[in-house]
Amino acid sequence: MISVKNLSYVYSPKTPFNTQALFGINVDINDGDFFGIIGNTGAGKSTLVSHFNALTRVQKNSGTVFVDDVDLSAKKLDLKKLRAKVGMVFQYPEYQLFDDTVEKDVMFGPKNLGLPVDEQRSRAKAAIELVGLDYAEIAGRSPFELSGGQKRRVALAGVLAMRPEILVLDEPTAGIDPIGKRKLMELICDIKKTCPTIIMISHNMDEIASYCNRIAVLDRGTVKGVFAPRELFGSRELLEKCGVELPLVTELAVGLADAGIDIDRSIIDQDELVCAILKAGKYA
Amino acid sequence: MRDMTIGQYYPASSPVHRADPRIKLVILVLYMVTVFFCDSFLSFGFMTFFVLVTVFMSRVPLLKVLKGLKFVLVIVLITTLLMMIFYTDVNAEPIAEWWIFRIYLNGVYAAVKLAWRLLLLILMPTVLTLTSTPTELCDGLESLLSPLKFIKFPVHELALIMSIALRLVPTLIEETDKIINAQKARGAAFESKNPFKKIKAMIPVLIPLFVSSFRRADDLADAMDSRCYRGAKGRTRMNKLKLRVGDVVALLGWCAITVCVLFLKYNWFGWGFIAAWGL
Ligand SMILES: Nc1ncnc2c1ncn2[C@@H]1O[C@H](COP(=O)(O)OP(=O)(O)OP(=O)(O)O)[C@@H](O)[C@H]1O
Ligand SMILES: [Mg+2]
Repeated sequence: MISVKNLSYVYSPKTPFNTQALFGINVDINDGDFFGIIGNTGAGKSTLVSHFNALTRVQKNSGTVFVDDVDLSAKKLDLKKLRAKVGMVFQYPEYQLFDDTVEKDVMFGPKNLGLPVDEQRSRAKAAIELVGLDYAEIAGRSPFELSGGQKRRVALAGVLAMRPEILVLDEPTAGIDPIGKRKLMELICDIKKTCPTIIMISHNMDEIASYCNRIAVLDRGTVKGVFAPRELFGSRELLEKCGVELPLVTELAVGLADAGIDIDRSIIDQDELVCAILKAGKYA
Repeated sequence: MRDMTIGQYYPASSPVHRADPRIKLVILVLYMVTVFFCDSFLSFGFMTFFVLVTVFMSRVPLLKVLKGLKFVLVIVLITTLLMMIFYTDVNAEPIAEWWIFRIYLNGVYAAVKLAWRLLLLILMPTVLTLTSTPTELCDGLESLLSPLKFIKFPVHELALIMSIALRLVPTLIEETDKIINAQKARGAAFESKNPFKKIKAMIPVLIPLFVSSFRRADDLADAMDSRCYRGAKGRTRMNKLKLRVGDVVALLGWCAITVCVLFLKYNWFGWGFIAAWGL
C-alpha cells in the first residue's frame, strides 16, 4: 500500500533553474494493484515514482508518502529495507549493467542486502529464470554481448532478485519491437504472481488498457484523476479533459460505432472486440 | 551531482553577460597579471573595488559569487595560517609568542595580503564563468587563438574538442545521476565514510558510464559524418562574435586600472606617495 498525500516537488529549489515538477499530488495505490500512470512528457511521472523508494526525498512541508506504515518524509529511513521492498526499474535499464557476468550482475542487489553468497546465487538463478532466460546458457556470459531485449531482461532480473513486494516500472517497453513488447508484458504478468503490486508508467495506451486495473492521469504535475480503464477509455468527456489518446482497440470500436454498427464504445479488450463484431455481424 | 558548479552559468541580462567573450578573456588575463603586481593594501583595495563594480554590473547576486569561493576557502585559510606562523622578521619584536611559534606584525600583513591576492585571483574567473556560457568561452578562445593557424596549429579542432567536452558535461552528469539512482535502487550504498569502500562503490557507476560514453562518441561521429562534417575548411558560423563599443571601453578601462596599479607599485612620477599611506 502506497499512500501519497498532497505531495509537491521542486527541482533545484532556490536557484534560477528551479522547476516545480509536482503540485499537491494525492494518490493511493493498494496491494495487488496493477497501477498505471500516464501523462504527457514532463508531466512528473518519473518524479512521482522516484519518491516511492526514497531516491527522491520528500521535501520539507511538501506532503507525505507512506509505503505501508513507513513514513518516507521522516529524516531517518532504513533505505536498504525500503529499496528491497520497492523494486524500481528505470527507463532503458540495460544501461545500468556493469559486472563481467550476467550472474554477478544479477547478484548485485542481493549482495547489497547483505545476504549470504548461496542465497545470492539461488536468488539470481530464480530471477534469471523468472524473466524467461536460460540460466545455464546465459549466467556466465558478459552482459555487454547480449541483445538489447536480453539486456533488458537481465536488468529486470537484477531488480527482481531483491524479491520486491512492489515493483515500479518506468516505460518498460520503450524502444522494443511489437512482438518483444507483448512478450515483455506477458512476462510482467508472470512476475505479478510473485510480486503482487505493480506500478507501471507507459505511453502505450494499449498496454495500459489491457493490463492495468487502475490508471492515474498526470498532467503538468497534478493528478487529473484515478480511473478504472473502462471508465477512462469509455468516456469521451474524461478523455478530452485529460488529453488522453485511445487504445487501438477502443479506437476501432469507436470507429465502428460511429459508422452505425451496434458496438460498445468502451471496449478495451481485443477478444471482446472480436466477439462484439461477430455478434453485431449476426444481427445485421 | 547536478548541483556541481562546473557549468555554473547564471543567466541574467546584463552588460557583463552581453560583452564579447574575447574581450572578457583578454580582460581576465590582464586582470590576473595586474593582481600579481599589487603589493600594497591600497592597490588590493583598488582592485577589489573594481571587481565589486563588475559583479554589481553583472547582476549576479554577490552571495552566488562568494559561493564559488567556498571550496578554495580552506586552502586559502591554511596558506594564510602557515604564512603567519613561519614568517620571521629579524628587525622586529614578535607581537605574540607561543611555544616555538613567533608571530610578527609584518608576518600578519604578508599573510593577509597573500589571502587577499588568492581570493582576487579566484574571484574574477568565477565571475567570468558565471556570466558566460561554456560555448561563448570556447568561441572566444577559438577566435583569440586563430592567428596560430598560420603555424599550422589545429585551432578549430581544438575548439571543437573543447566544445564537445563542455557540451557533454551536463549530459554526463545527468547520466551519472541516472546510473547512481539505478544502482541505489538495487541497494548500493554510496554514503560510506571509508574512502576505499567509496571508490569500490563507484565501480558499478563508472563502468556503465564508460560504456555509454563510447557509444555516445560513436553515435556523434556517425552523426557528424552523415552531415558531411569535414573540419574547419569553408565552414561558416551561426553566431558571429561582434566587437561593440562597450567592449572596447571596458578593455580600455581595465588597461587604465592596470596602469594605476603600476603607478602605485613603481612610484612613477612620484605617484607612489599614495602607496606610502597604504603600507
Ligand atoms: N533532474 C532534474 N532537474 C531539473 N528538472 C527536472 C529534472 N528531472 C525532471 N525535471 C523536470 O521535472 C518535470 C517532470 O519531469 P519527469 O521526468 O518527472 O516527467 P515524466 O512525466 O517522467 O516525463 P517522460 O514521459 O518524458 O519520462 C519536467 O518539467 C522536467 O523538465
Ligand atoms: Mg519519465
